Amino acid sequence: MPCALLGDRASGKTTFLGLLYAAQVKYGTGVQDDFRFHAPIGSLNIMSAVYEGMKDGRFPSATLKEEITELGFIFGYLRKLVGKLPYYIRQQNWVRPFSTLRFSAYDVSGEDIEEFIETGIASRPLIQQLLKSVVVAVLVDCSKMTTEIDTPAYKRMLRYDSTVAKLLVSFQTYKKQEYDRLKDSGVSADTPRIYPVFVLSKFDTLRDDVLARLGLHRGFPEDKRSRKEYAEALLRVFVPQTLSQIRGGKVAGVSMDKSAYFLSWVHTETQEGMDPVGQPRIVRTGFSPEGGGEPDFSYDEYVTFIEHFREIAHKIPDEILEAEKFQAQAMLRAAQ
Amino acid sequence: MLRVVIVGDKNSGRTTFLGLLYTAQVKSGSDKADDFRFHAAFESLDEITNVFQRLMSGSFPDSATKEGIHEITFRLGYRRPVRGILWRQRSQGWASDAFVSFHLVVLKAFEDEMARPAERSSIADATLRDALSSDAMVVIVDARKLATADEDPPLVPLGKYDAAVESLLSAIQRSRAHGVRALFHPIFVFSKFDRVDPEALRLATLENAPPAVSKKRLRAAYAKALLDRNLPKTMAKLVARERRGLEFAVPSYFFSWVRTHEAVSGGAERVRLRRSGSMGWEPDYSSDEYLAFLECLWDIAAHTKD
Repeated sequence: MPCALLGDRASGKTTFLGLLYAAQVKYGTGVQDDFRFHAPIGSLNIMSAVYEGMKDGRFPSATLKEEITELGFIFGYLRKLVGKLPYYIRQQNWVRPFSTLRFSAYDVSGEDIEEFIETGIASRPLIQQLLKSVVVAVLVDCSKMTTEIDTPAYKRMLRYDSTVAKLLVSFQTYKKQEYDRLKDSGVSADTPRIYPVFVLSKFDTLRDDVLARLGLHRGFPEDKRSRKEYAEALLRVFVPQTLSQIRGGKVAGVSMDKSAYFLSWVHTETQEGMDPVGQPRIVRTGFSPEGGGEPDFSYDEYVTFIEHFREIAHKIPDEILEAEKFQAQAMLRAAQ
Repeated sequence: MLRVVIVGDKNSGRTTFLGLLYTAQVKSGSDKADDFRFHAAFESLDEITNVFQRLMSGSFPDSATKEGIHEITFRLGYRRPVRGILWRQRSQGWASDAFVSFHLVVLKAFEDEMARPAERSSIADATLRDALSSDAMVVIVDARKLATADEDPPLVPLGKYDAAVESLLSAIQRSRAHGVRALFHPIFVFSKFDRVDPEALRLATLENAPPAVSKKRLRAAYAKALLDRNLPKTMAKLVARERRGLEFAVPSYFFSWVRTHEAVSGGAERVRLRRSGSMGWEPDYSSDEYLAFLECLWDIAAHTKD
């Protein structure tokens, strides 16, 4: 099922994907074997190149980012019942052992999306694919969160907020139209649902004065409700249109209420009292029996991110199969 | 869907009004309390988010933005209070019938259109035809133009505008003279009320500031005192009773203002931004008035549905 990862230019998309790759390499090779990861060769080459660079202490280079035209990957989650079957049966393809989610990354400042926002016409295949997404992960760059309203960063964030809000409304409109089309064909279907996810990228660069002005502390809470409150306190200030349109999905007849929030950070080398010259270097973990030489990043958040989609992946195939079944029925009726 | 037309003379602040209305919705719609939700139609978003971005960066809408804004459609709803043991099921407070839709259309250059006597009886302009099928009309009254001296009605600064609004109301009423009995809702919004000449208020023996939003009767009296002097034809039209067709509802009144920084040496005027508890920043504007305006639209829509 298609899922979209939306991010602005230089919002940390490539780094996020590189770290996600790093997390899944570690997490997906555990003994449980209930999560699998797959990426097309082009994407895999880039993600592994980013990962390799990070293991060498470097952030992705501009040249590497330019190579990215379409980046995608697939998450696979072992179905609950299948997990109870004997090993040799669950390895059979006909069992369809894994529920899958197919992610694609999109640059919201890209030509395709800008054209779509301006015209409202989803003529390009990339946009058609984007609109079909059932999961929308939005990257919000914390380094652009500033209390100085005359800065380019503040204005850039305002623009990003408008673009993402428009995209979310276009998702809602598309889903609602599809739903109405099914209903008009005499088919009953469940209320359409989109699962929004926010990733607060470059969380380590969030400035203390911003947190202080919003009355927030630096640590991200652990329990679900506090995480939501903390993240929404930031989103309310920096992407209010996006937040209000997520909630507004209910008004449009598309539920987007099950938002989840994650953060991403990667520690960089700092020298006391000095600003880094050029691109900062990534701190790497020391060697231990569990491994080492890895970028020091928010691994637990990435694992939670991966796990968050397990239930959704199991649920969506049924919904989609139902929808496909309904569509087939509708076409049959139309033909008669 | 409730159809609302917005009329106002040139530079009366129609685009800023729409931008602030959207700002009020974004603020309430992202609030921690989560008691208000809204959805803007995709076609409306491009223009209105431009206005929002400008206001949030401290600028008023420029001429290109003003030109782009024509209509906006949104849907909004308030959460019903859930008490007792059901408080945990807050999400169920959003019933599907809790939401109502609005289509706001800005009428541009309608004064000239209405001033052409030959065409008054058969309004040609497509936008004006929108007005004929509307359920409510927002009349923007530029507070800077309120009369500061006793003059005959045609000579007051808003004289031409008054005649145009009255003509439009007559045209709407005429177009539905033989239809079923229906209510038409006039809403007056005094724009730029922070710039009102104190002399205009003194002439009408009024306080410097209008009564609070909650004091509806006092506000109505305050606004009426200004409108009877400045838009006499329009006000007379609204109280005239018709036996059949369209009837005018009791008007609602709102006061809009945005605080600004003084323009520096010929530069453009800048919107002053203020810190707002949960929202971070917002234009320093009459947010209570805008929230009350939204509730007013909601009430009208709820009655229209019935």
